[in-house]
Amino acid sequence: MVKKKKNVLIRLLGLLFALAVIFAVVLPYLWMLLTSFKSTPEIMKNPGKILPIKWVLSGYEKVLTKSPFFQWFTNSLVVSVSVTLIVLFTSSVAGYIFAKYNFRLKNVLFWLILASMMVPFSVTMIPNFLIINELGLYDSLGSLVVPMMISGFGIFLCRQFCEDIPNSICEAARIDGAGDFYIYVTIILPLLRPCLASLAIFTFLESWNEYLMPLIMLEKVDSMTLPVALSFFSSQHGNDLSATMAAAALVMLPVTIVFLIFQKQFIKGIALTGGK
Amino acid sequence: MKNNRFVYTILTPVFICLLVFKVLPILIGFGISLFDYNPLMEENTFVGFDNFKALLGDEVFLASLKNTVVFVVVTVTLNVTFSLLIAQFISMMRSNKMRSLMRAIFFMPVVAPLAASSMVWKSMYANKYGLFNNILNFFGLPGQNWLGDKNWVMPAIILFSIWADIGYNIIIFSAGIDGIPGEFTEAAAIDGAGPFRRFFSVTLPLLARTTAFIIPMTLISHFQMFAQFEIMTRSAGSTAGGPNNSGMVLTLEIYKEAFKYKNMGYASAIAVVLFAVIMIVTVVSRRTNRVDWEY
Repeated sequence: MVKKKKNVLIRLLGLLFALAVIFAVVLPYLWMLLTSFKSTPEIMKNPGKILPIKWVLSGYEKVLTKSPFFQWFTNSLVVSVSVTLIVLFTSSVAGYIFAKYNFRLKNVLFWLILASMMVPFSVTMIPNFLIINELGLYDSLGSLVVPMMISGFGIFLCRQFCEDIPNSICEAARIDGAGDFYIYVTIILPLLRPCLASLAIFTFLESWNEYLMPLIMLEKVDSMTLPVALSFFSSQHGNDLSATMAAAALVMLPVTIVFLIFQKQFIKGIALTGGK
Repeated sequence: MKNNRFVYTILTPVFICLLVFKVLPILIGFGISLFDYNPLMEENTFVGFDNFKALLGDEVFLASLKNTVVFVVVTVTLNVTFSLLIAQFISMMRSNKMRSLMRAIFFMPVVAPLAASSMVWKSMYANKYGLFNNILNFFGLPGQNWLGDKNWVMPAIILFSIWADIGYNIIIFSAGIDGIPGEFTEAAAIDGAGPFRRFFSVTLPLLARTTAFIIPMTLISHFQMFAQFEIMTRSAGSTAGGPNNSGMVLTLEIYKEAFKYKNMGYASAIAVVLFAVIMIVTVVSRRTNRVDWEY
């Protein structure tokens, strides 16, 4: 009886602890949203107040009318969608080739792909910048897409999954007269779906959130992607906390909402790729 | 299977891309670190290892090297320890709903763009109207100038970085803990081991494979953290770096030297040092965390 009571107490404490932790993690989001609905004079005059005295939309209005926010959003979307689609294609087709074909130098080439995963961008950003300049891509969205078309991680992941597909399926299709690319499209791609779903999530997020690369590759205000644009906006309107928080909210909320809708797939995807 | 034509039509463009954007940049990077390279100059003179020699006497570089190491060691240690404890805590919760809620909440900051969350935290750290100082004042404690005081910049950024990144490792540790067959902990419980003993003597050793993955990955990613340093140490009218360079790290210094001052040769020398540091740390952490068994 005493033991049971003790257990209930521990459970209760655990629950309270969990709620406290949840609150602490969510706190910055609350702060951001509440601040974005205050007017800037109110923030300055009443620093101690957490809730807005008067709820206003002036911050959001300023972001949407005084900056090319939709242009920035479109830029981000174009870059992230292009990178994701291209990476899905190159990773799956190369992963398939490395898993199912025999050719000269196969092991050396695969090692090269693995090694490329280890190269940090902060180390190669200067030469990358010079190469992009040479290619005439500076200050264009192409500068953010072209260098990201091949993902070492993606190829590695797809190869792992392709290896689990029995050779006999591909061979049977071949005997029936199917070409290599046809086998890839009709047999391999559908079987890779779970793997490609996680790869798409990672690639999209990484591209959407990237900060350093667009910071060095883009110059015009109109060609910026959201994270850099946000940083630019806040340096332009440094004293206007309400507008800055509204801009941050507009950048943070879409990814957060998408995440909350697809959280099961996200978390499965991480566990799938990380645990291997 | 064999079909060289198919293989090479696909792999040739793939490897051209890889060479141009991954392999070539490393070689070029090493190359220009030996020059006094400035893209705006007519002539760029070969200076041998002078850039590297200059680094040894450069206070900003030495400060950023030290800050980088401190940041990585402290943040990664705290991140790995807490993510493991939280993952274990989550796995002990009975309700399935509560478990997935906890994981989702912790993961939320991971999907947010670092640039945006850094901005939000920067305003929470603000001197007068920031959240932290308001909480301190509420309890009658004096506020701190978090991002303007050279002793507080690093702790402030470390706290933020843990918040922003811990969810990722929690998910991976959770998957690892869930993957451990229940018989092991049950057997230990029957033998009379308490929850702490079970965690340290059964769960932790069996997680070695997960830890071997997490530690090098977390180290590598934290050596490259950039957005929070650039955004949180920047104040109106000054470039990033914090008071007395207390918030300066290697990535930020490479960026500043190369793209603010156009000293690309010198910046490349710093990049080479960063590359060497990351390589050494990766190899050492892979070696020490190697696991040769399975269950």
